[in-house]
Amino acid sequence: MSSATDGASDDTGPLARWARTAIHNPRRVYRALFYVAMAFFMVTTVFPFYWLLVLAVTPQGNLLSGSFLPTVDLFGVRGTFPLPVPKGFNPTAFVTVFEQVPFHLYVLNSFVLAATTTVIVLVVASLAGYVFGRIEFPGRALLMLGILAISYFPPAAFVIPLFQAFAGNAPITIPFIGVPLFTPPRLLNTPGSMVMPFSALFLPLSIFILTTFYGQIPDGLEDAARVEGTTRLGALFRVIVPLSAPGVATAGVLTFISVYNEYFFSSIMATSPEASKWSPIVGGILSYQTQYTTQYNLMAAASVVGVIPVVILVIIAQERIVSGLTAGALKE
Amino acid sequence: MARVRLEHVSKHYDDVTAVDDMNLDIDHGEFICFVGPSGCGKSTTMESIAGLTKPSEGEIHIGDREVTNLPPKDRGVAMVFQNIALFPHMDVYDNISFGLRLRNYDKEEIERRVERAAEIVQLEGMLDRMPDEMSGGQRQRVAIARAIVREPDVFLMDEPLANLDAKLKVHMRTELQRLHKELDTTIIYVTHDQEEAMTLSDRIAVLDSGRLQQIDPPLVCYNEPANLFVAGFIGSPSMNFAEAMVTEDSLSTANFSLAFDPASVKAVDVGDEVTVGIRPEDIYPGGTRVEVEDSSSLISTRVDILEPMGDEIFAYMLLGERRTSMDQSRADDQLLMSVDPDSTIQEDTDVEVVIDRENVHLFETASGEALAHGLSPVSAELKNETTADADN
Repeated sequence: MSSATDGASDDTGPLARWARTAIHNPRRVYRALFYVAMAFFMVTTVFPFYWLLVLAVTPQGNLLSGSFLPTVDLFGVRGTFPLPVPKGFNPTAFVTVFEQVPFHLYVLNSFVLAATTTVIVLVVASLAGYVFGRIEFPGRALLMLGILAISYFPPAAFVIPLFQAFAGNAPITIPFIGVPLFTPPRLLNTPGSMVMPFSALFLPLSIFILTTFYGQIPDGLEDAARVEGTTRLGALFRVIVPLSAPGVATAGVLTFISVYNEYFFSSIMATSPEASKWSPIVGGILSYQTQYTTQYNLMAAASVVGVIPVVILVIIAQERIVSGLTAGALKE
Repeated sequence: MARVRLEHVSKHYDDVTAVDDMNLDIDHGEFICFVGPSGCGKSTTMESIAGLTKPSEGEIHIGDREVTNLPPKDRGVAMVFQNIALFPHMDVYDNISFGLRLRNYDKEEIERRVERAAEIVQLEGMLDRMPDEMSGGQRQRVAIARAIVREPDVFLMDEPLANLDAKLKVHMRTELQRLHKELDTTIIYVTHDQEEAMTLSDRIAVLDSGRLQQIDPPLVCYNEPANLFVAGFIGSPSMNFAEAMVTEDSLSTANFSLAFDPASVKAVDVGDEVTVGIRPEDIYPGGTRVEVEDSSSLISTRVDILEPMGDEIFAYMLLGERRTSMDQSRADDQLLMSVDPDSTIQEDTDVEVVIDRENVHLFETASGEALAHGLSPVSAELKNETTADADN
């Protein structure tokens, strides 16, 4: 920058020189930080996806032989290429995936479970969010705290009692007295045994998000809707929910993705990883692994296929969020 | 026919009573203003009528129906809100037709009504705009159109002009009056601006701390206020008050006395403590030319501050022995007078003033209730005597 820094550069290293110019030119620091952050983001999120693609198109026979990091010979200088590249090219893996197991059914299972849960969660959380966000009543804070506390429970704590209940062979009894009330139907291997616990587990977060959003809608708008002819419920779904679209989309996408990727509960509630028993995507992916073989390329290809619906959903939701329904018509 | 009746309506919150035993009978087609300071219960009363707030006690009737427990949508009311409250995610057409669509009117009928409403509030050609593309006045007109399109029995307006600038406010005020003439529905209008209330309404309901103080036509509220609160609230600038003692022949305040025959007002006896209320426009500079039929004796004052308003001048006068600005802690020692703009009075000069006795108001100090509006003429003999008194 200045001649003084140039003069001093003679007796110091490049880092010290860079630091000295950076002090006078902070934009360089910001740019450097941006590259560091971007690199970190790329390595942690995009690289695994790339690695999956590399695995998926590598023919199965080549998987375990040789290195994915090719050696390059550049005018006599030999070195290892720093990025893995496929060993061979076999795009048919994406077809084989559907031939070996009905993978589309697993995807459908996950999709149906996720969509059902999302609908249930959004409806119930909307009602709860309306009450918590817009109505004053004694014990509100305490109740909210209770709901949030439940969400901190490890889900594993619920597995055994839920499995017992859904197995449909043990009657529900009154605690301590032991008087049997009723025997629940057998829900294992049905969507019910998964949607119910998922909904319960993902509700608190959605309630929390929607409470914040619904609480910010001015009272005047709800009053106006009610005077114009809606009930409280009508005002919620016709005015408050549309105006909170970003919040609803956030809660919906979070719930959907969480359930779509869920394996812990569904691996237990579906007694074997079969598509007909409502086993989800992860169950499908794991079924490329048999007692004697592990088809990594198919597992990778299936993983890539499984990601596609979520990518589509996020793109759609993104547009919805960005479409900006929040522009206020209210003069405050 | 939509008559609105409130019978013993009260609204209690945990520690405050917002509305206390409100009884109102509003005729069909009447334009009523609820006016009062903030927190007086006017908005709560309106919300009770709209059904947004449920009264703790009492009954509300609209037309022939008791609506106390009906939800807002079934009451046949439409409301214009202070913050306008247009639905930001709908365009003007959808905003105006919201209520009609909820009631499943057929499309042509909705279109016809929306167009008619838009015509009334002069919004033609703006039906496809979004609320955030409009100015404050346009939004307010959309809100009014949304209210009139349903042809409600009763219009509720909660300070609809509060957020508009002064010029637009005056414009919308005349628009509202035109609208009222055109629609012939009952309008209940909440405002804290007594000027708005005076100009708009058929009758003014003055509220204070949850109680109805007076409900009368604007000029009655102005000329015959029912109590001290109404007297002080209605009229701008507000009335001068001075505490006085009733003597055998006069009302004696700390700084001046008015000839008065205690027998002329029924509820007054010698020795009672009363409050004398005099509007600034009923005080005249004495000496030069007194155009009042029954004027009081001269009261000597000192001009403290002059506020020229253009069409009149407000003169703050100091009364009493020590007439200095520094010593004006007591309201009793001050008198606000409204004088002609061509008056020649100067600040810091002594001026003698007279009071138009016909427009002197008497209130009972303890309860604030009005005792008399206008003092009856006293005989010349008595008048001279009190003048002598005052001079002493």
